[in-house]
Amino acid sequence: MDTPTRRATSSIDPTLLANIVKGDQQAFGQLYDHSSTLLYTLALRILGSREEADELLQDVYLEVWRKVARYDIGRGTPIAWLITLTRSRAIDRLRARAVRGQNSTMSLDETVSSRVADLGPSPYESQADQELRMAVGTAITGLPPAQQQAIELAYYEGLSHIEIAAKLNQPLGTVKTRIKLGMSKLRESLRRAWEQGELG
Amino acid sequence: MTHEELEEAVPLYAAGALDRMERQALEAHLLSGCQSCRSALKEYQSVASLLPFGLSPVQAPRALKSKIMAARNPEHIAVDSLVKESGRPSLEPGEWMNHLFPPLTPARSLSLPWAIGVASVLVISLAGYFVWTYTTRLSEDNLKIQHLEATLQEQSTKIAMLKRDLNFKDRSLADMQVDAQRKANDAIELKSQLMEREVELESTREQLSAAVRGKVPPDEFASLLRRPDATVVSLAASDMAKGASGVLVYNPVTKKIWLYSANLPECPTGTAYQLWAIDQKPVSVGTFHVDVGEMAHLLVKRLPEFEKVRKFAVSLEPAGGRSQPSGPIYLAGQRS
Repeated sequence: MDTPTRRATSSIDPTLLANIVKGDQQAFGQLYDHSSTLLYTLALRILGSREEADELLQDVYLEVWRKVARYDIGRGTPIAWLITLTRSRAIDRLRARAVRGQNSTMSLDETVSSRVADLGPSPYESQADQELRMAVGTAITGLPPAQQQAIELAYYEGLSHIEIAAKLNQPLGTVKTRIKLGMSKLRESLRRAWEQGELG
Repeated sequence: MTHEELEEAVPLYAAGALDRMERQALEAHLLSGCQSCRSALKEYQSVASLLPFGLSPVQAPRALKSKIMAARNPEHIAVDSLVKESGRPSLEPGEWMNHLFPPLTPARSLSLPWAIGVASVLVISLAGYFVWTYTTRLSEDNLKIQHLEATLQEQSTKIAMLKRDLNFKDRSLADMQVDAQRKANDAIELKSQLMEREVELESTREQLSAAVRGKVPPDEFASLLRRPDATVVSLAASDMAKGASGVLVYNPVTKKIWLYSANLPECPTGTAYQLWAIDQKPVSVGTFHVDVGEMAHLLVKRLPEFEKVRKFAVSLEPAGGRSQPSGPIYLAGQRS
């Protein structure tokens, strides 16, 4: 049985992308194996539909195949680039869906409860990814619920702070402060975890 | 936006929580080369890209990889379908040679029965050869048909891919058109706002010229109005002073503010208007008196702390002014 996700998603080798630029199909397959679970999880979280997440991943990987030469290592790791691309395309779909008048797939309660559902190890992950998931999960659950909610509405639903304030019926300054404080705390806890060797 | 505001916008940018205008303002600032904001953004973007790692992983469907690989490389589909349809792999060239030219067995004797036997075998072989040739041709034709079908399949796949690409490009084009239209609308709106501001400024200049004629050194005031870094704050009238208005112009070099007020009601005896600069709490800037029949008034004061001030207000106070506002507000406005 193929167990692609046991390789560390968090540490994809940039040379893999350099090989894909040269048309290396095997490297492309490896990139898929390393990253598809995380990207599918992200797409599913944003879109809330397996069918749409399927379609989105097809679009994203075909875009990667065509535009991999645009990846610039100076601007981030390969997985950060893939996450950014996937999130951006998923949010585009979400907005297109909103324009068509379809409802968002997540309610407010769901956005809060859908974060780290399970901090235990998963058989589909590498050791490094499991440790990273637990560190990130702990950092996120350590935030006050209002800060988590504001960050998740921005990151996973593509809402601006003005839209979040309207949705939650809260003052604009409050929402901005929640996001700012939340991101700042996440930065500190993840940095601490990194320095203590809990990550990687 | 001040640098402090831009700095505070960095974590919101990384979380994707800024609207378009704010995003563009921050991007322009980053492009201008602010290293502290750039390095903060890099850290916050690293945090943002870690967020999905906190989700419970869900594996993509197994068939997805082959779909993606096939969509990216249509030849794979064609070869796979050829193998599936024929049900067996095609023969290698060496194997074809064995079928066409089977090894010959030499005759052991030239006696008649042997000769007849050999002749019979030859006749049967000849007949067999013709039958074999016929079936081989039939088989070749079948293979050619299969090849043609495979080619057709390959072409269909390519056409499907091209259609998919075309749809994708159509979507991108439509998105770009929408974006371009939006930008054009923004530009029109900005242009219209600019024109309104120019008209307002022109009108303010005229009003100020009329009001200060004879009281203010013309050179100083004219040069203030020409300064691109002069800040203008409009003050709107409250219900206490319907029809009144005020404009406040700040000169960053001389640190002076020029408050021009028009149509304020005359001050009752023993009272005066007082201008307040408000940051955390109101601070008095100065007082002025509007006499009977005076339609406009100009107040000039030094205000070195102007940059910290967010709002301005004019209230009616006892003559000489108060340390904190106690009377009704007549004019108020805030910096944009």
